[in-house]
Amino acid sequence: MAKARILVVEDEEMQRQLYCEELAAAGYEAIGVGNALEAEEFLSRERVDVVVLDLNLPGVSGLELLPRIHELHPGLPVIIHTAYGSYRDEFISWLADVFLVKSPDAGNLVEAVEELLNRQREVASSP
Amino acid sequence: MSRLSPMERTLAMVLAGGLGERLYPLTKVKAKPAVSFGAIYRIIDFTLSNCLHSGIRRLFVLTQHKSLPLDRHLRLGWSNLFRAELGEFLESVPPQQRLVREWYRGTADAVFQNIDLLSHERPQFVLILSGDHVYRMDYRAMLDFHLTKGAEVTIACTTVPRSQASRFGVMEVDRNDRLIGFEEKPSNPKPLPDDPDHSLISMGIYLFNTETLVRAVIKDAKRRDSSHDFGKDVLPDLVRNKARLFAFNIRRELPPLFHYWQDIGTLDSYYQAHMELLRPDPPLPLHHDEWTIRTYLPPLPPAVLQGRVQIRHSLLAPGCLVEEGAIVENSVLGYGVQVGAGATVTGCVLLPRVRIGARAKLLRTIVDEEVTIPEGETIGFDLAMERRRFVVSEGGVVVVPTGVAFQPSSVS
Repeated sequence: MAKARILVVEDEEMQRQLYCEELAAAGYEAIGVGNALEAEEFLSRERVDVVVLDLNLPGVSGLELLPRIHELHPGLPVIIHTAYGSYRDEFISWLADVFLVKSPDAGNLVEAVEELLNRQREVASSP
Repeated sequence: MSRLSPMERTLAMVLAGGLGERLYPLTKVKAKPAVSFGAIYRIIDFTLSNCLHSGIRRLFVLTQHKSLPLDRHLRLGWSNLFRAELGEFLESVPPQQRLVREWYRGTADAVFQNIDLLSHERPQFVLILSGDHVYRMDYRAMLDFHLTKGAEVTIACTTVPRSQASRFGVMEVDRNDRLIGFEEKPSNPKPLPDDPDHSLISMGIYLFNTETLVRAVIKDAKRRDSSHDFGKDVLPDLVRNKARLFAFNIRRELPPLFHYWQDIGTLDSYYQAHMELLRPDPPLPLHHDEWTIRTYLPPLPPAVLQGRVQIRHSLLAPGCLVEEGAIVENSVLGYGVQVGAGATVTGCVLLPRVRIGARAKLLRTIVDEEVTIPEGETIGFDLAMERRRFVVSEGGVVVVPTGVAFQPSSVS
């Protein structure tokens, strides 16, 4: 089976690298981009299985990008990955499948990706 | 716990963005909620008056096509009734295309596309209303019912004979008023549990807990196969997922003043609703002190009847001028209408500022705003001929549209 592709949208380079490495170590193909425009450009030509989305991005914010992701690929699973839990108060954040507050390591991110992909597989295989 | 009353924690979203195609040509230059109704009102005045009487002080009117006349009416007649200092507002919101770079794809999409308004206002309840219904309703009673039932969604509904129910969203309820089925325009409508001859139909008025609404429209927005409509998609999905939806039957829960409800969907229903206003005991009494319908009218002089005129069973708005020898029967004359000397107007709905030339004869005709009918013109007697120049409804009512030019040769 082909590796699941994860797009990581994260402006902090160190964090982006860390998340991509951890996801790769868990057996995924991880692609990192640093802002919303790069992400949109990538998604307009490539397919991925999950998007990991930071919200505080330079320029176009993650919350602005989120509905664009759904316009390009309706139903594509998105994990919001932010340091600020208060973004939950913005109803548009509910468009994401998972809202994850960042932890010091990437452990909970890898778990969330796994869970989400498992859920997708279950939905796909249910009659 | 908030110390605000439940009504103060309620926000209304009035959907006013439809094309109004079935009411064409009255919707040629304006959205349906801005179409004139009952001589001095605009259709949206009924819904907004209900909000005012019910104590709803936060309203968004979601507009879209041909919104300028509607915006103007809201600005002149309504926005100034709400005090920003008290957190009150009535705002007209055209599509922002922040989330989706498209027009509204359905009623649920209109709410989804404006979800940031709800994030900002954070109401506990959201009342979804339509800007093109004519009715009186006390939304406070609906909210009380919603709280008593512990509902997530309450749908206002009324009963119609089963034979007429196929045009509507038909609801199936248990004996506790909880929805167990919802079908949009079914061919075989389900009857009421205790009345096999009637069905319960949705009025398209929904009271949601905000969280339920947000989750539902987001879920719907993600579906490719959805038409993004509350009646067709969102409510059936909520019923399937065992959400707590309840039916608020206006005929049982409210006094008779509130039993009239008309979705002004077609030219014939528009015409019929006007003819009903002329009955000695109209089902929608406009003269009622308790629940007045507000509107905006420009400054107008009193109506004038010059010399000997005959007027029977008709409504005359301020600013009307009926000249010597004219006959007006079973008709509604909007504000500023002039009927020339010797003209005959029978079974007509003349919208504001229409001028009927001397000796013209009109039968069962709707004349749109500001149209001038030439002297001696005849309209509504030969429907085959009228179909060649005007829209004629299924029920045989002629509609003379705004901007029409009369051929000199058609003057007899």
